[in-house]
Amino acid sequence: MTTTTAQSGLSRARKGIAPGGTGSGNRKSKLSAQTTRTFFWLLLPSVVLLVLIHGYPLIYAAVQATHDGDLLQTGDFVAGDNFAKVLSSPAFWKAAQFTLMFTIVGVFGSWLVGLGLALLLRTKIPAGGTFKVLLLLPWVVPIVVSSTAWNWLVATPDSLIPSLFRNLGLGTPLFLADPNLAAITVMVFKVWVSFPFMMMMISAALASVDSTVYEAASMDGATRWQQFSQITLPLIARSTYISWILMTIFCVNDFPTIYLLTGGGPVNATTSLVVLAYRTVFQDFATGPGVAIAFLMTMTLVVISVLLYRQIRKSSVE
Amino acid sequence: MSAVVHAHPQSGPVLGVAGPAKNKRVLSEAGDRGRWWRFTAILIITAIVLVPIMVTVVLAFTPGPTSTATGLTFENLSNVFSKTLAATWLQNSLITTLSTVLVSVAVAAPAGYVLSRGRSKAVSGYSLLLFVMQSLPIITSVVPLFILFAAMGLVDNLLGITIIYVGSTMTVATWMMAAYFDSIPISLEEASWIDGCSVFGSFTKVVLRNSLPGILSTAIFAFLLAWNDYLVAIVFLRSNEIFTLPMGVQSFFQQNATDWTSVMALAVVMMLPPIIVFATLNKYFSVGGIGGSLAGR
Repeated sequence: MTTTTAQSGLSRARKGIAPGGTGSGNRKSKLSAQTTRTFFWLLLPSVVLLVLIHGYPLIYAAVQATHDGDLLQTGDFVAGDNFAKVLSSPAFWKAAQFTLMFTIVGVFGSWLVGLGLALLLRTKIPAGGTFKVLLLLPWVVPIVVSSTAWNWLVATPDSLIPSLFRNLGLGTPLFLADPNLAAITVMVFKVWVSFPFMMMMISAALASVDSTVYEAASMDGATRWQQFSQITLPLIARSTYISWILMTIFCVNDFPTIYLLTGGGPVNATTSLVVLAYRTVFQDFATGPGVAIAFLMTMTLVVISVLLYRQIRKSSVE
Repeated sequence: MSAVVHAHPQSGPVLGVAGPAKNKRVLSEAGDRGRWWRFTAILIITAIVLVPIMVTVVLAFTPGPTSTATGLTFENLSNVFSKTLAATWLQNSLITTLSTVLVSVAVAAPAGYVLSRGRSKAVSGYSLLLFVMQSLPIITSVVPLFILFAAMGLVDNLLGITIIYVGSTMTVATWMMAAYFDSIPISLEEASWIDGCSVFGSFTKVVLRNSLPGILSTAIFAFLLAWNDYLVAIVFLRSNEIFTLPMGVQSFFQQNATDWTSVMALAVVMMLPPIIVFATLNKYFSVGGIGGSLAGR
């Protein structure tokens, strides 16, 4: 057999079979050892970077979270003091609450808008392709740019949108100065930034749905709503689930959308956990508590992402 | 992503979403009318959605308060370049972003190949590790890295932020490359092995050569992430002449909050490269990076 070169090593590696086994075992195991060596070298740069940029900082963060140091020195070991301090501070819980609201609105708001637009764009519309591309722009334009534009639109009472409200006799809403309104504005901004991602995910899932399914359903007398709830939704369920969890991760980790529009204010009304961690470390110079906040978020996100990973593995086996 | 599908001319009568085949003729008129209703609806929605972007562009080319120009003008743009370090910021952003893209793809492609072809416990464990790492908040690693980089002289340094960008794009980039390699049939490689090619040889000569779309999607992802980053930049960059564009735009905005036309001109400078990349490579613009590779794997 001349094909027992590198191939056997690879197909074995693919199936997770140990080298050796059938045929002239000796030669094969030598070749698959060579494959393993190639794999090792191909993976090495990635491993080095992962250890340097993710592994080391994570371990060092654990050290910082349990010490009372600052940005220059590690300080003394204080065990769980930082965590206790953080968990007993109202600012932390207020930020956690805002992060939760921000995430719920960000995930489902952008999903609903994305779903609506994906369904609309799926029908035949003149220049539909152009609209599809144009609607991706909020996702492509840098947040620094779009937050500046949103600032121009809503920041002061004389900005375009407050003036519009005034002219319609609806008063002059202070979109970034009123705590509740600022929270809503930041969430709307987040939905504006994120819906294209959802639209893309849903469009891709819808594109793989066979349209004859709908023809058959409507011949059987299914209404539009039945077709949507009984056919469309189940068919896009997997990618919807993935997009929800990804968007949850994006929202929880978000910094610029909030920080650039409101800076976390007014009166901390839009301070999320990331913003709080950033301020605690770089403005209050309380490294221990700041890193402790980041660490608590990290733990939560590890759980979320492992759940997602298992779900993906499960559904790709099915 | 096929942008042309909807614009494709249909020879037959036009149907609604799921019109039954036997009612074709009756539906074609109603479908036509529905088509234009939907067109109007999507036109209005798109116009509203794009207001912030249009505002940016219009203001950038509107004469400023002290200007004598009328109509649209390039004055703001030239002012921004002459009065601020916009050219330096643009250059810094281009250097860090392009280096990030190159290194990230160069690291992610071989790793993605191993993730795609290898199926041992160690490989799937590494795949999980990459996946978990991409979901963690950058703020957690930023503080320890700040201390490490300060000791190494990498704070306020473009190399420093580039290393972090490579590290933070590499995880998702590896997944994206792996998802693409999954779609390349292994029979192509088998043919080259028969010809005596090594695994590494077939990876570079067969797999990579057939992976341009995957490489471009990954590159676009890394480009957007590095170009748009604000959190790493605000922590690591201190001096004006080391700023990347996000820092430049932000600091200029804070100092000249009333000079909107200049602020927007600078914003347009920042927005242009990603839009150019998007416009020219839009068919390789994958489903939001990680999303596509997750849905695909």
